[in-house]
Amino acid sequence: MDPNGAPEMTEHQKIQVQFQLFQESLPKVDETVYRMLLNESIPLAIDVEKRLSQKLDSLPTEDPVLESLDKEVHSKLVLNPLKGNVRSNKLLQHYLTADIDYQAKVKLRLSKIGFSLGEKLSELLIFSNNPNFNFKDMDLLTVMKFLCRDVWRQLFGKQIDNLKTNHRGTFYLLDYNYKPVESFALEENMSKQEQTLLEPYLEIPCGVIQGVLASLGFRKESEVSCNASIVEVPESRTTSQRMNSWAVSFNVQVVPASDS
Amino acid sequence: MSASTSGTSAPAAASRKSLKAFSEDVWKNKTAKINAELFTLTYGSIVSQLCTDYERDFTRVNNQLYSMGYNIGVRLIEDFLARTALPRCDSLAKTSEVISKCAFKVFLNVTPQIGNWSSNKDSFSIFLEENPLSDFVELPMDAARELWYSNIVCGVLKGALEMVQMDCDVWFVSDVLKGDQLTEVRVKLNRILKDEIPAGED
Repeated sequence: MDPNGAPEMTEHQKIQVQFQLFQESLPKVDETVYRMLLNESIPLAIDVEKRLSQKLDSLPTEDPVLESLDKEVHSKLVLNPLKGNVRSNKLLQHYLTADIDYQAKVKLRLSKIGFSLGEKLSELLIFSNNPNFNFKDMDLLTVMKFLCRDVWRQLFGKQIDNLKTNHRGTFYLLDYNYKPVESFALEENMSKQEQTLLEPYLEIPCGVIQGVLASLGFRKESEVSCNASIVEVPESRTTSQRMNSWAVSFNVQVVPASDS
Repeated sequence: MSASTSGTSAPAAASRKSLKAFSEDVWKNKTAKINAELFTLTYGSIVSQLCTDYERDFTRVNNQLYSMGYNIGVRLIEDFLARTALPRCDSLAKTSEVISKCAFKVFLNVTPQIGNWSSNKDSFSIFLEENPLSDFVELPMDAARELWYSNIVCGVLKGALEMVQMDCDVWFVSDVLKGDQLTEVRVKLNRILKDEIPAGED
């Protein structure tokens, strides 16, 4: 399994190449489908929130017996499960007009999805002999590097562009063209709404970051916080072919537990 | 299952090779790929969050997954048509072939079998031997009874077929996750939607 036999490769590089080859040999699916699945979970979360809040409103008026009967019929008759289906773009519009409380609930839901994804993802990446990861000297910085390099590459096919830290538990992760919202733009004069609409798209990776950290021992919710915001793309990084590529900054704060 | 399109007859690039070889080519050369395990895990996280949200009311979870799939399907078809440039299918048999050999291959890298045709040829089954959505998934007891874990697939098919003017019903008949022998998705064509003609001036 010596890839190209270049003699000047160090041992670590060799393992790295092997890891890469191994990753490539794993079963694959189409990327578009994955992107759509990931992005569709935002309208999904909005829809769930909408239905749940509607249910609370309509619950007292409904006859419980009738409802259970209805449910039974439904489980037998799988036809017409599209009852009440709302198109994704309508759902996103609904999100725009909803109040802050509602938006917060949607975001929480998304970050939970991200969290459980992150927890499992780190296992997937560590137990496949990842050379970038070493349990011996695992400090926070190593974990963050792992996040920026391996987790991000797995999720978005690229590394985080910039990692900044104050060495006291605060990290800034900058991604200059954030993949999921690459092709995202509203009409020209709606940039403020664009910002609002983009926010939920940042929740899943936030959850992933927290999930990965949690699975590696930075567990308690109070210890780790993660916020994301859209930032200006630095002049030097703007690529000419794209008018608007969104740069995202993830601000991760890890407060070390008092006993460690 | 059914006889593959006999090659070398039609001049169009898409049908010169057999559909199978063609989609193999699309998958190999025209597809950006991503780790299937990641895909499985992501879908798993979404489903489990849904189950929590609906307090394990699996009927609602099924419907929600279906409608999520529908919303994906109506957009996924664009990508599919753009990438494969396949012509319109003239029969449901042809459609089923494109779904199994091309669509599933290009998007999920699996080729399910088609079978179980109804006598009047308006419905067929897709047998998913391998299903990347449900790799290493095991359902808890209560979910195994009611939850159609991969119900999103039905929604996607429904939405995508509707966009090519085929009004279909798509549903799961059986799922290995529920202890069945096979994973079977049933597709039934209700009607072909008519081309709308713009209202005349007069």
